[in-house]
Amino acid sequence: MELFPLPFEKVLNRPFYEFVMIEYDSVTKVFGAGKTAVTATDNVTFTIERGETAVFLGPSGCGKTTLLRMTNRLESITRGNIRIRGREIREMNAQELRLGMGYVIQQIGLFPNKTIAGNIAVVPRMLKWDKKKIDARIDELLSLVKLEPGVYRNRYPVELSGGQQQRVGVARALAADPDILLMDEPFGAIDPINRDQIQDEFLRLQAQLRKTIAFVSHDIHEAIKMADKIAIFREGRLVQFDTPEIILMRPADTFVSDFVGADRALKALGLLRVKDAMNREPRNLARADMTATETLKFIEDNNFAHVIVLRGNRVLGFVSRKHLKFERGNLEALAVKFPEELGIREPLRDALSAMLLHDLASFPVLDDNGGFAGTISYKNIQKSILELYSEYQDE
Amino acid sequence: MNLFVFLQENYSTALYLTWEHLWMVGLSLLIAICTGVPTGIFITRNKQLAQKVIGGANVIMTIPSIALFGLMLPLLAVFGHGLGKVPAIIALVLYAELPIVRNTYVAIKNVDPALVDAGKGMGMSKWQLLREVEIPMAVPVIIAGLRTAVVMIIGIAAIAAYVGAGGLGVFIQQGIARSHESMVLAGALCVSLLAVAVDLAMGFLERRVTPGGMKP
Repeated sequence: MELFPLPFEKVLNRPFYEFVMIEYDSVTKVFGAGKTAVTATDNVTFTIERGETAVFLGPSGCGKTTLLRMTNRLESITRGNIRIRGREIREMNAQELRLGMGYVIQQIGLFPNKTIAGNIAVVPRMLKWDKKKIDARIDELLSLVKLEPGVYRNRYPVELSGGQQQRVGVARALAADPDILLMDEPFGAIDPINRDQIQDEFLRLQAQLRKTIAFVSHDIHEAIKMADKIAIFREGRLVQFDTPEIILMRPADTFVSDFVGADRALKALGLLRVKDAMNREPRNLARADMTATETLKFIEDNNFAHVIVLRGNRVLGFVSRKHLKFERGNLEALAVKFPEELGIREPLRDALSAMLLHDLASFPVLDDNGGFAGTISYKNIQKSILELYSEYQDE
Repeated sequence: MNLFVFLQENYSTALYLTWEHLWMVGLSLLIAICTGVPTGIFITRNKQLAQKVIGGANVIMTIPSIALFGLMLPLLAVFGHGLGKVPAIIALVLYAELPIVRNTYVAIKNVDPALVDAGKGMGMSKWQLLREVEIPMAVPVIIAGLRTAVVMIIGIAAIAAYVGAGGLGVFIQQGIARSHESMVLAGALCVSLLAVAVDLAMGFLERRVTPGGMKP
């Protein structure tokens, strides 16, 4: 409450806690006592806003899991406060607090004696929902996590793969539609191929649900992918709490820069989207009804590597000098199709990969409806990285 | 073949003694379950207490059954129950406690900590956690303990004939006293068959109560 003085609230005409969900206020946890005491988290202060995913990142033993477990009071707080929507959690009933937050753990922890439906029903049953409502909710959630309800409802956890089990784990945490999700390395035990897929699905889900998420991870790639904000911990201290872009481009100290790695510019490529870097007004364009001779002259005059052939706002392909020599007729028949299509929302990493793979210096970019939106080239990509870098250097 | 002749001639006595044997064991087991399972669960909350309780039960197991009857005789004689069913059932309950308490304790202790963590994190109370997760997970191991206990006390109950408790031990005891070989054999055979049959039944029960998702 002290963070924002009252007038500010009045100006915005809405209460502070509409947008701050979880506050960590000088949170300290000491395990043991006397000489053997170990400080797991040391004076950690930051806030997670409503609908935001905060990833707690750091090497093992840095206190990130302890902090998460203090949030639902599985660990007690030695000093400091944690507030949820402005209420101190130590004054709340622990069970009530936990019923209001979904909890997903690395070991998944589905109850093997209960069916998938039984597992999802645990919290709704504790909240005394009636049976019809629970059954409807189970089917809704299974569909949401891409598991056919008719097939999986009555199966037991042992009959499912690890990836499917954790989908159920997520569904179980969402069962009573809590505002907050606590996730302790939720995808850590899943094989890399499935992990990528389940992360994508979870991002899509989160885009719909806008839960407030505290997410523990030790994987910088996962953090960059999932986070709105990343909190980096070292030996119990919060070293940096910022957006992934700032963490990558302006690490607070050598610990953070070592942790994000020397290839942080490459990591930023996974963060930036094609639309952030593309050239919206490219010049190397040709209409499908232009003749070969005409186009060849256009290419030579401007010294282009190739031109993109358009009909209306549809991309037909490209032509280069070698395709046009000794040819007559118009470009409609001559255009070579692009080997890959790039959407505006794809990460720059994918664009760069396509360029390297197909030896083409620029690619057309398609908007959501498949229409031509611009082009992307090596130069565009490099420029956007430099811009990002200088932007955060100047701050 | 004297054995079969003996059984043919005394089949009603044999049936009666089997029935007597069975209900003594059944009643003892019931008492042992009602006290042993809660004890086993209770001591999971306190490691030191657990060591003491299991240690104590172990000591009881080391006392030979015939000696235990002898020890209880003067104590129970005060209440007029030095001989008969009462000392027999008390002894059987004491012997059954160890496998029941120990298996319950071990089973609850060995429930995957991740499940306990998940349950707590979802907002289960200690009691809900016990009822919804820990006990269902522990039941197969608890039943295995009951199985050990019941087979063991069927054997011990045969000795209870020496304190006048009846049961199939009567054949053995009197057979020895009269050097009646067929009678001893008949008693031994009936006790063995009873033990095997109960063991099979308990095995069946063990499979039945294992929750669906945990069957091997």
